[in-house]
Parts: sequence; structure tokens; C-alpha cells
Amino acid sequence: MSRFWSVRRNADAVLAVTLLSAVTVLCILVPLFWPLDPARGVLAATFRPPMSVVNGQLHPLGTDQLGRDLLARLGLGTAISLGIVLLAAVISVVTGTLLGMIAGYFGGWIDIVVMRAVDVQLAIPFILLILLIVAVVGPSIGNLVLVLGVTGWAVFARVARARTLEVRELEYVEACRAIGVSDAAIIVRHVLPNIVGPQTVLLTLDLPRLIILEASVGFLGLGVQPPTPTLGNLIGEGRSFILLANWLVLYPGLVIGALVVGCNLLGDWLVRRADNRAS
Amino acid sequence: MKALSFIAGRALQGLIVMVGVSLIVFFALFLTGDPAALMMPPEASRVEIEAFRHAMGFDDPIWVQYLRFVGGVLTGEFGRSLRFQRPAVDLLFERLPATALLAITALLWSSLLGFVLGTIAAVRQNGAIDFVIRVISLLGQAIPVFWLALLLIIVFSLNLRWLPSGGIGTAQQLVLPSLALGAYYFSAITRLVRASLIEVLGENYIRTARAKGISNFRIVVHHALRNALIPVITVQGMYFASLLGGALITEIIFAWPGIGRLAVDSIQTKDFPVVQAVVLFAAFTFVVMNFLVDVAYVFLNPRIRL
Repeated sequence: MSRFWSVRRNADAVLAVTLLSAVTVLCILVPLFWPLDPARGVLAATFRPPMSVVNGQLHPLGTDQLGRDLLARLGLGTAISLGIVLLAAVISVVTGTLLGMIAGYFGGWIDIVVMRAVDVQLAIPFILLILLIVAVVGPSIGNLVLVLGVTGWAVFARVARARTLEVRELEYVEACRAIGVSDAAIIVRHVLPNIVGPQTVLLTLDLPRLIILEASVGFLGLGVQPPTPTLGNLIGEGRSFILLANWLVLYPGLVIGALVVGCNLLGDWLVRRADNRAS
Repeated sequence: MKALSFIAGRALQGLIVMVGVSLIVFFALFLTGDPAALMMPPEASRVEIEAFRHAMGFDDPIWVQYLRFVGGVLTGEFGRSLRFQRPAVDLLFERLPATALLAITALLWSSLLGFVLGTIAAVRQNGAIDFVIRVISLLGQAIPVFWLALLLIIVFSLNLRWLPSGGIGTAQQLVLPSLALGAYYFSAITRLVRASLIEVLGENYIRTARAKGISNFRIVVHHALRNALIPVITVQGMYFASLLGGALITEIIFAWPGIGRLAVDSIQTKDFPVVQAVVLFAAFTFVVMNFLVDVAYVFLNPRIRL
């Protein structure tokens, strides 16, 4: 046990938690306590590099083309992006797991329909489908959450189905059926607990995909509309000024990188831990 | 015989997927209930919208419209671009060579380099080289395409002035976009080859080969890599979709006149017939790629060829 928890073994997890908590602190503390307004700019102080002082006010990450404080915008933008991504992830996990369990448990034509729908979903590049739907329904935060969430179900359904197929054959499930427990009760009380673990791991590994997708849509200017900041919007707006003010692009990119590396390391670590436990 | 029925089954599956994709692409326009109002500029009058609705056939029953859509697709008729007043298919095929050039270049460098580095990392597992390669591949998957592309422009175009930051025509203009586009793919291949090779190297038949005194190089190249390749090939099809998605962003940043830019431009100008054509084409390429991967799988893995 003590070797299992040795520092070397868990260096990845420590780094992951450090990165993720740094981002969490940024997106909670900055919107709450940083005194500068992310929407209000000082036109006399545009494109100030990081650590500039304007009228006695420090801008740690500099200012943008309208003289708005980048730290304030980055804090709020990260919070909005993370909010969208996490809500979307919940929708993906819930719909995917539910459909996967139903497909695996009942089999037959339900299984065929759900699994072919998974194939269809995975055949269309996510970004293209999301851009298409957002262009039709309009780019509000709510629509973005829905679209990202609904298009992300397929992987979760596939894994939930595979696991359900295994659990369905176990003796205690057999026993439940023999004493007349309803299908719904078996799925919720006996199949679901066996699936929660693997789905959580899958979620950590799927979050980076959602983070990058949300940022890509924002970068293209087709997501949440400015002046609301999101990670992608910030980079998209900063792109026109890279010659003049590359910090506008660099810092939001670092936040995305920290989030994605953090999630990937955490996910890999969870997978390894599950493997160790199994063996 | 088993192989033949397996391939036929996969072909049928691909066909079903394409039917599903056509349903999504078609009905996406009806999400707001009125595709005519959606496609017309907001200042259009009621009369104009009604005329447009009739011209596009949006006043027919929906199943008639869907059958007409599918019939058109099957005969290569994808509707007309509203912006250019030309068949959407023509626009698509005009832009196709540029995207193909970019994607193939990215695919080539990333799979070759990923393959070599993945193998080195696996052979030197837990060594210093392995650590460096793992960090590179982890970062390669963490950095969004658009951010990497902008970094490349800042460093190589603006600061060092070595390479152009956009346009198409010369070999130099191909370097940065294909680097940006291939980075994710390269990381994925490196990680996969490494993981898969490490697993194979632990198998009994490799130990037997070692016991017979066969050189390490021969063991890796002749005995291990062949088996390690199978999982790598099976996921190629999946990663192909992310390559198409990445091409969309890369083309925008580097002013590369390919299908991805056509798609984004068309979405921004609400030129939906073109968008539909691009989505269908992307999905079709994906389905064909995965079918080819399945066929390759049959030939590489004797266990299902029996």
C-alpha cells in the first residue's frame, strides 16, 4: 500500500490536481474578487503588455484592443467555458449511459437501433455538426450546452452497453430476475453501480475533447457572441492582433493547455489505478 | 468465406450509417421549423420568403422533400449554392485538391514520425528518451489546433521570418499548416504504437525469440511490430474524423482555400446547401476510410480470416 502511494507513482496525479486547481482558482476567485470589470475598457490604455501599471492599477496579464483587463476577461471566460463544458458533459454522460444500458440490457432491435445511431453520430466530424446546428438554432449559451451535450453521447453509450452486457450475465442479476424484480429496478440498482466507475474515468478522458471543441467554436466566432468572453472567443479576438499583442492569444491558450493536460493525466492515472486494483 | 461475409456485413453497415447521416443533415435545417426564413436575410419581406419557400420546394410534404434530397444526392445533385448560384458539388470538388494535399501531407509526416518515435519509446521504456517522447506526445494532444497554429505563426512567420503565414502555391506555404494539422495525429500515433508495442514485447513468443538469441533489432522489427500494428490500424479510421475537423480550423487560420474554409464561410453566410454537401462528403469519406480499415484488418489478422 505504501509503495502504491509513493510519490513517483503518483507524480502524474499530483501534477494533474495542481493544474486543475490552478485553473479552478482562476475561474472562481478572479470573477469574484478581482476589482476590474471584464467588460469595461480604458481607451487610453489599449494593448498594454503584462505587468503594466495604468493610473496606479496593475494589469498582470496586460490589456486588450479596447483597454480591457485581460486577467478579468480570462477569469470570466474560463468560468463560462468550463460551465458550458461541464453542463454539456453531464448531458452526454446521462443520455449516453442510459441509452447504452437499455441497449445492452434488452438487446434485440433496441440494441441495433442504438448502436447504429452511435455509428452515425461518430461518422460526422463533431465540429462540423455543431457548427451546422448552432448556425440553425442560434449561438446562445443554452443552445451551445445542448448541442455539445447531445452530440457527445455516443462514446458513453458504447462503453455502458459493453459493460451492461457483462453485468447482465452475472448470477445476482439472474437471481433478481428470478424473484421478479422489474427491469427498470435491475438497471438502476444493479447495473448502474457497476458502470459509474468506468464512466467517470471515460468522462475525465472525454472532457479535453469538449474543452477543445467549445474553444474551437468560439475561436471561429460562431459560439457565444462577444463581448461575452470565453476561452475560444478570447483567442479568436486576439488573433487579429498577434503582431501587436501576442499575450492576448498566449494566456488563454495556456489555460486550455493546463485544463487538457490536467484532465488527460488524471484520466490516465484513474485507468492505471483501476487496472492495479483488478490485478 | 467468413472473411467475405464479414466484409459484406461491414459494407452494409456503412450504407446504413450514410442513411442516418443523410437524415441528420436533412432534418438539421428543420430544427427551427422554417428553413426558408432561416436561409433568407433577416430584412427579407414576407412575400420574398414565400417565393423562396416555393422555389426551394419547402412547401411540399416533408417526406417528399427528403426523398428528393436523397434522390439528388444519389445522382450527384446536391442543390445549388445560394451565395454563388452554382451547384454545391462543383464548389466542393474545386476545393477538394487543396484539402487533400494538406491532409495527406499531415497524415504522412505524423504517422511516419509517430511510428518511429513510438517504437523508440517502447524499446527504451522508462528511460530518458521515453520520458521526452511521452511529454511531447502529451502536449501534442493537449494543445488545440488553432492555438498551435497561432504559435507557429508567431514564432516562424513573425519573429524568425522563415516561413509564410498563409496562402497556397509553394512548398513553404504547406509547412506550417501541415505541422499544425498533423500534431494531434502524431501524438496519438506515438502513444498508441508505444502502448501496443510494450504490450506485445511482454508476450511469451518474444521471450522465446530472445532465448533463441535473436538480436533485439530483429525481434522488434520482425516479430513485435507486426502484431503491435493491429490496434494502431483499427483506430486510424476514428482519428481520421478528427483530422477532418482539424482541417477546418487550420484552413481558416492559414487562408488555405480548402473544403474546411468553404464549410465555415458557408455556415457564416447561411449557405446551407453547400454545408449539407460538405457534411455528407466528410461522413462519406469517414465511412469509406473505416471500411478500408476493416478490410485491411481482415488481411492483417489471420484470426478472423479463417
